[in-house]
Amino acid sequence: MSAYPYEVIFCIVNAGYSETAMDAAKKCGAKGGTVIHARGTANAGAEKVFGITIEPDKEIVMILVPDGLTDDILHGLYREVGLETAGQGIAFALPVDKVVGLPSGNAKA
Amino acid sequence: MNLRKNKKASEARDSKRVSSPRPLTPPKLKLLVTVVNRQKAELFLGLLQGFDVNMQLSMAAQGTASTEMRQMLGLTDTDKAVIFSVIREDRADEALRYLDDKFHTIKNGKGVAFTVPMTGVIGVAIYQFLSNYEG
Repeated sequence: MSAYPYEVIFCIVNAGYSETAMDAAKKCGAKGGTVIHARGTANAGAEKVFGITIEPDKEIVMILVPDGLTDDILHGLYREVGLETAGQGIAFALPVDKVVGLPSGNAKA
Repeated sequence: MNLRKNKKASEARDSKRVSSPRPLTPPKLKLLVTVVNRQKAELFLGLLQGFDVNMQLSMAAQGTASTEMRQMLGLTDTDKAVIFSVIREDRADEALRYLDDKFHTIKNGKGVAFTVPMTGVIGVAIYQFLSNYEG
């Protein structure tokens, strides 16, 4: 259990997989998220050595979640859009101090 | 006579120090993340500058209502902007309360904002710029 009431999950997937990622997160309790388009960079040498190709077009799915759901959602994302899937996704969580603007009944500043 | 004057001057300096103590450590920084409708991005970027925010990053984004849901509800606009602002810890709470008020009062201004603690920054000049604090 984190010391922070909320955490923000960033899930970086190949373009076109944000909906799959969001569906996986919703199954584990997430209410919604925001999708940002981005471009990834890769070390060409590492691609050759490991025999993989990194797609440059990415989508970042940003999901604000109450602490307690983070682990389930990260596991769900790993299963549906993890590195070994077509989504080639990675996900991580950052602590969130305070939140405003959520529907009433949620933590405030 | 000179000794008394010097003593008075030194006492005056001491009392000034006690009444307005300088913080021992420079204030920490936080990352303020604000998600709003894209048409309101410029407005919120401007509002946040009033909180000693010198660096902001604004990104085009989209809300995650599915296509079917959007068609069903007649929603046409899930276009969002995500604003990353670097803000001093001592201005963060005030900024969040201000944003919360704006989310409820500005037409189409509904949004979400939250802060993420930052653990470090390299460079005194960069820190002073990001914190708008000359120490």
